[in-house]
Amino acid sequence: MIHSVIIFNTSGVPRLSKFYTPIHQSAQTIVSKIYSLISTRPPGSCNFLEAPELDELLGRKDADEKLRVVYRSYATLHFVFVVDLSESELGMLDLIQVFVEALDRAFENVCELDLVFHFDEVHHLLAEIIQGGVVLETNLEEIDSAVHQAAAARKQSFAAANPLALGAGGVGPRSTGLQTPLGWLTGKLTGVGAR
Amino acid sequence: MWERTLQDLIRGLRANKKDEAKFIAQAVNEIRQEVKSKDMGLKAGAVLKLTYLEMLGYDMSWASFHVVEVMSSPKYHLKAVGYLAATQSFGPDTDVLMLTTNLLKKDLTSNPHDIAISLNGLSHTISPDLARDLSHDIVTMLNHSKPHIRKRAVIAVYKALVKYPEATPFALTRLKERLEDQDAGVVAATINVLCEMVRREPADYLSLAPQLFRLMTTSSNNWMLIKLIKLFGFLSPHEPRLVKKLQPPITQLISTTPAISLLYECVHTCIVGGMLQHASGDSLAELCVTKLATFLQDPDQNLKYIAFLALAKIVPTHRNLVAQYQDMILSSINDQDLSIRMRALDLLSAMVTRDNLQSIVQQLLSYLVRPDVSPFPAAAQSLTQNISSSTSNGTGPILAPTQLSSYRLAVVQRLLAMCSHDTYDNVVDFQWYLSVLLDLTYVATVKVGDQIRGQLVDIVARVRGVNRWAVELMTRLLRDDTFLANSQEEGSCAEVLWAAAWICGENSREIAEPQKLLPHLLQPNVSLLAPETIGVYLQTAVKLFGAWSMELSQNWDNGRLQDVREVVDTLISRLKTFTSHFEIDVQERAANAVQLFNFIRADLASFSPEQDMITDHGTSLSQTPTYPKSLLLINPLFSVYELNSVNVSAQDSIPVPDSLDLDTWIASPPREFTLPDASTVDGTEGDERLSTKKKVKGKGKGKGKGKEKSSKDAILSSQTDPIPSVGLSETEEERIEREKRRLERIEFRRHDPYYIADRPSSAPSANDIDSIPVVRLDDLPPLSRVEEPQYPSLLRDSASVIPSEPFVVDKSGEMPEGVVPPPDAKPPLIPAVATRSSSTDTMPQVLSSFPAYVVDEEIPRAGTPEPIKVKRPKKGASSARPKRTVTE
Repeated sequence: MIHSVIIFNTSGVPRLSKFYTPIHQSAQTIVSKIYSLISTRPPGSCNFLEAPELDELLGRKDADEKLRVVYRSYATLHFVFVVDLSESELGMLDLIQVFVEALDRAFENVCELDLVFHFDEVHHLLAEIIQGGVVLETNLEEIDSAVHQAAAARKQSFAAANPLALGAGGVGPRSTGLQTPLGWLTGKLTGVGAR
Repeated sequence: MWERTLQDLIRGLRANKKDEAKFIAQAVNEIRQEVKSKDMGLKAGAVLKLTYLEMLGYDMSWASFHVVEVMSSPKYHLKAVGYLAATQSFGPDTDVLMLTTNLLKKDLTSNPHDIAISLNGLSHTISPDLARDLSHDIVTMLNHSKPHIRKRAVIAVYKALVKYPEATPFALTRLKERLEDQDAGVVAATINVLCEMVRREPADYLSLAPQLFRLMTTSSNNWMLIKLIKLFGFLSPHEPRLVKKLQPPITQLISTTPAISLLYECVHTCIVGGMLQHASGDSLAELCVTKLATFLQDPDQNLKYIAFLALAKIVPTHRNLVAQYQDMILSSINDQDLSIRMRALDLLSAMVTRDNLQSIVQQLLSYLVRPDVSPFPAAAQSLTQNISSSTSNGTGPILAPTQLSSYRLAVVQRLLAMCSHDTYDNVVDFQWYLSVLLDLTYVATVKVGDQIRGQLVDIVARVRGVNRWAVELMTRLLRDDTFLANSQEEGSCAEVLWAAAWICGENSREIAEPQKLLPHLLQPNVSLLAPETIGVYLQTAVKLFGAWSMELSQNWDNGRLQDVREVVDTLISRLKTFTSHFEIDVQERAANAVQLFNFIRADLASFSPEQDMITDHGTSLSQTPTYPKSLLLINPLFSVYELNSVNVSAQDSIPVPDSLDLDTWIASPPREFTLPDASTVDGTEGDERLSTKKKVKGKGKGKGKGKEKSSKDAILSSQTDPIPSVGLSETEEERIEREKRRLERIEFRRHDPYYIADRPSSAPSANDIDSIPVVRLDDLPPLSRVEEPQYPSLLRDSASVIPSEPFVVDKSGEMPEGVVPPPDAKPPLIPAVATRSSSTDTMPQVLSSFPAYVVDEEIPRAGTPEPIKVKRPKKGASSARPKRTVTE
């Protein structure tokens, strides 16, 4: 099964972290350690992370239970899957590709900022591909339609609850980018307050 | 009030990069207010913000209850937030989980969206209790009209079964029905789930094979095929018929499929599924290896990596097939990519045989020595790095893998394991291997000193033929002052000095002029070393002096007197500096040695060379030898017993001496616990004490034996004495009273949490174990009647020959006599450089002239070999320090 899915950028800032099984160290330690291992790999290396200190980090000693770290890098983001022996190594590489393509469909030319500001959407999308560490669906069309149906349901529910709101809270590409004047003002105010 | 949304929080975070902690502290304070709000929208917003902060490492466990509140919202968009927060923050010990049972039950019967979201949430947060309460509801969802829900339900059922296996019989049949689902996605999800379940208990799912086989031969979905093939890889080792059935379709897939991932999975299943061992497996194996070899040559590093993975699994059965590609594999040890290196290393160590061990080890060593990549990347390399922006990140120069200490450690450990595998089975030339170990000591620069030390000591104990060479190498190491000076550095392997000193001390007869090594052993820098190493150094210095003085005494020349005096003086002055060492062990050893040398100094001072007239010096056995008698003081302390490696099971195999009667009283019981009849006494307590004694002896050093022996003799002989009949009479009332007290005590202890009963307390014996007095054996007067000699002659005739090649490895180690035939081909000692041929005979006579220092019983008496029943083997010869062991 898949034990965790982590996305972080090229500076090591986490953009999404999902752990399907209990972890033995803090999530931050794991993310930063994997980041430091991945970021020092020379270009053209393979997509399987192997390092002597990894076993200890992931907390598995058994040869049978050995966990593998499969990762892929896209622009400024690293997508990392930690999987065990019942997943196919090359299959996982393809699954990361499916995940990214699904993101690309949902956000139209996905970039890091989309993941930053739509952190919850990314989680909902991931939930259509992997559930509880088991692969749920690999067909891009199926994933896409499920994502859209769920998003539409959220949007509808939001609209029913806030008849006056303009778009906010809904989903779909860049929908929350369209801000209410109120939200815009809040942003300004908090900016001041925080300084 | 203007409440921040998640977007505002993120924006604020980005704007306040400099003072993030303060900004977040403020944000968390606001969130703490907002989650208490009555407005569910506001509450959900706060929970969502918390979930984001949780990813950045901030605690949100305090808000668990609010998460449940949001989950229970009837509005779908809020519920989604609640479930997301739950999956991210709930763990197995989150206590509010039990509050969610009814909520989940309700959501599972709601509209499809709610069902989907709750099934997803359940798959993360399910606990055994939830699984028990909800398993029926989840299983019902397996027949939902929407494929999307069925898919999710399949996975949720699996998760529930993991937590609550009792539901398996009922759920599994329903789950298996999903293999026939009309929706391909549901079937694929079912296969995924089955793959997890089969991996845990393959034998339980063999009945599924026909169904799965049909799916495999009809499906064209590669995702599902990969999983199916994997599944068969788990199943087929448990069902030989499957192997036969699977071979044709898998062979066909291998040769036809264009999908490399599927091809690889087929090859992998062939290997792990045992299809290659089967009849006609050889051609399949060849096909697999050729396919994998093309992966090895592929420019795609990923294929290379998985090829290594699979090859390492095929090596144990088809070594010769893989061996064709040895050069290709060796060159990958030097790959830029650490992952590839690690895998290649794995594969190499699986490939090792007697024939290729040397070349592989040499190759690995050369990688350790030579930095293979210059610290500054070449121009072309840095260019490609800049172009491929995906991996360049500006975190500084990329370290060459050989520079990484963790990788070096892995290499060195693998190398040591490779060579020592199966008690050095693959090592043919031990001279070579010792040199390798010494090289490693210098080039490893990682913490492996301990392991090198262990192997050195182990080899010297097991392979007699190589001892001379070992001493040669070790003296080199001991004389290397730079190595000593650098011993403080990290990864210096200074522990090897322990072995070096010990080996030189034990084989001091091999050293031509042992006294020349003494200054190196006692130089001031030695105090930099670890205390246990210093201890061995001191001991070695004493041993070396013993060897030297023995040699001197045999070729005595009065001109040497001054030399000896000087050496002894230096020794004393150097040793004195260690008597104030902070470690007690070092102090003690130094103080002991100083006292010994003080005596020798006194003897030397009183020695006058007037006995010059006696001409036949050297071999003289007369009472007035021509040389200072104290020269023979030290050597016998160390050279009486031969060192052997001892079998691990030796201790357990010691036959119980016939004369040992554990049921007899050692001492009479005191008055208050009088017994009706001494012969019925269950001597459990005494039994325990005796066996402890035995164990202690097994580990004891030679010098300590005398005392232990005498106490054992005390035990043995006391049993032959009639037990004093003090207070052996007991009236019936007393006996009843005593029995009552005993039962009371047992009852009391049963409830005492601090009392661990180590044997059934309901022992039927009327004799109370606890009432047996503990006798302090040390206080017993020593018994005069000693039946057996304590130390029969153990010295082997040193006129033995040098073992000719090849080296003999004492693999099994020494066993007690009578258990197995004594190891007949025990490699004999190498004759000493400084010959000691007469030492066996001369020692007793000479020593007996030093009544003040010689403990008579410890002198081996030649020609009185009486069988010794109890030997003192040491446990595990490989790691522990070899100890002196009794041999015949």
